[in-house]
Amino acid sequence: MTRTMMDKERLAAFADGELSPEDAAAVVMHLSDHPEDQAYVDDLMAANAALAQAFSAPLAEPVPTRLLAAAGMPGANVIPFRRRVLRLGAGGLALAASVAAAALLVWPGADTRLVPGAVAGGSPLAQALDSLPSGVPATLEGRALMILASLPVQDGFCREVEIVDSSASLLEMALACRGAGGWRVEVVLAERLPETTENGYVPAGGVETAGLTPFLDRLGAGLALSPQDEQAAIAAGWKR
Amino acid sequence: MTDTFRRDLVALIPKLRRFAWSLTGNRQEADDLVQAACEKALRNEQQYRPGTRLDSWMFRIVQTAWIDDRRRARTRGVGIDPEDAHLSDHGKAASLPEARLMLERARTAMAALPETQRAVMALVAIEGLSYREAAETLDIPVGTVMSRLARAREALLPALGETKGGRQ
Repeated sequence: MTRTMMDKERLAAFADGELSPEDAAAVVMHLSDHPEDQAYVDDLMAANAALAQAFSAPLAEPVPTRLLAAAGMPGANVIPFRRRVLRLGAGGLALAASVAAAALLVWPGADTRLVPGAVAGGSPLAQALDSLPSGVPATLEGRALMILASLPVQDGFCREVEIVDSSASLLEMALACRGAGGWRVEVVLAERLPETTENGYVPAGGVETAGLTPFLDRLGAGLALSPQDEQAAIAAGWKR
Repeated sequence: MTDTFRRDLVALIPKLRRFAWSLTGNRQEADDLVQAACEKALRNEQQYRPGTRLDSWMFRIVQTAWIDDRRRARTRGVGIDPEDAHLSDHGKAASLPEARLMLERARTAMAALPETQRAVMALVAIEGLSYREAAETLDIPVGTVMSRLARAREALLPALGETKGGRQ
């Protein structure tokens, strides 16, 4: 029996996510006993990933003022959810995610407070998501909780939640989105906290943003709501 | 309406900078391009149909502005066409750690592609558009998107190294 290789265009369409679920399943079946085609698909996907990463720097950078002016919003505060100083409420201490060397533990990770899935209505977390404005320190089960930003998505809102456990040097970041059935934690990331600087501030870097950015992109999230818009959303019960 | 449009436009800038960089291979030129595209978008706001994808509309503006620039540069006889140039990184890549080396290779390989292939590759592989969306953005048939991708990959995969062989 001769091994038939699948045509490259079909394999490329598979790697690019162009095939229907049925057709994709057929390709997966084919790949399982055609290692040379599997290797080609791996190469395609690696190339796509390398290209995406090679040009990704602007996503984590503040927008230059001249471009804000060109877009007609010279005073806009752009990507506030991608560059910020994270604050820890307790004792005026401030911490932030480190840029390098921090271990990024994708759930299931260490002993985290946040778990993906529905948030029970009326629970302390649900209450915080319902009514706590961004940037206001609060506590959840003895750990520092802060909502960092609220973002409009296609059919509702998502909120970025941060929980800091200073005794365990653990920082959790989650994205909770409001659906018909209430709040739902979509993704949880956890990382080790770096040492604080003497003045307690460390500028937020790439790790946590790199972690949540793909999810935000996939949800089509827009700019973080302004405090006024957020207040209005809270008052409206996060209904759009 | 105008305010929403501007807000959406501002929110898109990071992605537009990425797209423009992948086209020009140069960050300064990329930002010049994004600036020109934003200004053009504001002037032509009424041509944008609300409810359609603003990102595709903007990618198209960036891409046409880039092609115009390149044409002008060629007419003037300035600028180096990467298609004709022998691209060299002057040994820079050799001193980079493995992960950065890969990214440097990806940028060099992208810059070495013909313009038409580069634009398709950027929209599909980097911006994540579907073939149909890429076709609409560039105003070309879907079949052309696929053939340009295929040709781009014939050049890209070996240049990125680490191919497992078998299907080149």
